[in-house]
Amino acid sequence: MRWRLTLVMVILGFYTMFAAGPFAWVALMSVRTTTEITANHYAWPKTWHWEKFTEAWFGSGYNVYFQNSTLVVCSAVLVLTVVGSMAAYALARYRFPSNRTIYFILFSTIVFPPQITVIALFQILVQYGLYNSLPGLTLVYVAFQLPLTVYILETFFRRIPGELFDAARIDGYGEFEVFWRIALPISLPAISTTVILNTILLWNEFLYAVVLITDESKRTLPLGIQRFMGDQLEDIGMIATGLMIAIIPVVLIYAFFSEKLIKGMTAGAMK
Amino acid sequence: MITANHQNVSQRSPWGAIVTFLLPALVLYIAFTAYPVVRTFWNSFHHVLPKGETFVGLENYAELVKDEFFWRAVGNTLIWSLASPLLEVGIALLLALALYAKVPGARFFRIAWFTPVLMSYVVVGILWSWIYNYEWGALNETLRWIGLGNWARAWLGRPDTALPALIFITSWMWAGFNLVVLLAALHSLPSEVIEAAELDNCGWWGKLVYVIVPLTKATLLNLLVLSFIGKMKIFDLVWITTKGGPLWSTETVSTYVYKRAFEWNTFDLGYPSAIAAVWFVIVISAVLGLSWLLRHGEKLEY
Repeated sequence: MRWRLTLVMVILGFYTMFAAGPFAWVALMSVRTTTEITANHYAWPKTWHWEKFTEAWFGSGYNVYFQNSTLVVCSAVLVLTVVGSMAAYALARYRFPSNRTIYFILFSTIVFPPQITVIALFQILVQYGLYNSLPGLTLVYVAFQLPLTVYILETFFRRIPGELFDAARIDGYGEFEVFWRIALPISLPAISTTVILNTILLWNEFLYAVVLITDESKRTLPLGIQRFMGDQLEDIGMIATGLMIAIIPVVLIYAFFSEKLIKGMTAGAMK
Repeated sequence: MITANHQNVSQRSPWGAIVTFLLPALVLYIAFTAYPVVRTFWNSFHHVLPKGETFVGLENYAELVKDEFFWRAVGNTLIWSLASPLLEVGIALLLALALYAKVPGARFFRIAWFTPVLMSYVVVGILWSWIYNYEWGALNETLRWIGLGNWARAWLGRPDTALPALIFITSWMWAGFNLVVLLAALHSLPSEVIEAAELDNCGWWGKLVYVIVPLTKATLLNLLVLSFIGKMKIFDLVWITTKGGPLWSTETVSTYVYKRAFEWNTFDLGYPSAIAAVWFVIVISAVLGLSWLLRHGEKLEY
């Protein structure tokens, strides 16, 4: 039986190299200069050129891209959490006509292909002077992630036993107090799941950004990387450094919240 | 379930609270999702130029039927949407089989394999365009190293290999995700079931066919549908790596909509809206059809 375990471990090792190897490769290239990389693409760094990160950050505009991404993602996630949890709470805890209709429409939106909105959003944002602006992109992001957020939170709110709320009402809590002081604190695990999930998904978002943002100074990280790649196709070393700047926050979040993130990502697929 | 809901939901309807809770979400949804959807459909019956709109009836749709690039894009997207689910779920099943026997470090493997799906398509696209590079890409270097140097080619630069190469990237990205979901489904089963299968000591094929697949059937079908939907929408990866080329061989519906709306100098937003509208209807019908089929299939089971 020993040899079987060994065989399985070898296969697992190979697959791990296959799945994670490319990232290790980029990480190594990000601290090597393009000249060194061209000499041998797969060598271990002789000297670790950490200064490349400073260079990319200040010299190639990655500080601007990073700030824009952070600003857009944080504000979108904040609005999403407040607006999404309120709506999910209303749908889960109150009985009113058309409750299920609203829920069903929101829920179906999760599968909409984004092209069905992207052209019209371009027109609408141009009309309202929100085109090529970070607030405009933020609002679009909120609407984009709203259905998934409401779906995850609604499922959670629905599972809280009703007695808890009845008891609070008997104690004289108003509707908002019940939401604010009972529902929200209990739902913190589900809310943090949606926060982490939305952060990652919006951090990586590309289609809406590429359509709705054109200014150099307003680019988010994915746009900035694409732009840099287009301009400096041969400068592999610096592109790799740029990629790492986009990857590192994701890896950090994943390192601290891997289980939560996996749970959020797979929430829609479980049955 | 229904009775539980009745008990949970408060009996009175405090309208003030309901409206306040729902209104912000509904306003955002209507302004940035519902209205744009309606407007796209409206666009599709017009020529939408910067100077104004003219009603053209079904002209855009008539043009669409004759547009060979559109059909090319539909073909590529369908190939992608049908091949990917099988590849991703297939790889995930094999990996699940490996992790199913209790191996040391299963938690580590799970976390490592899940990583690709957390990265943006922009990062993944650039990374893989390097891996596929003709002169120094990891794939060609490996082929040369094992003596298959004449197989080396510019994988993304040739019409015959570009689409398969891109499909492979999405499978690499999503196989780990599928595996994690599959494992979670397996672990949620009563442990006796799995232990019994272990004791029976049937071969790995037997385990796969008689234990893993039947017990996780609902999850598997769900994953297939999810992967299918994801590939019907694919845009970022193509845009970063090939922009639909070479010779339209990787054009997808999404990239074609984008090109017609924002790249070609026709300035008309009506025609791309018609493509988007048609594709929207197709995706929604496919999703509804598939989920109906799946539910139907499950009922037949019992």
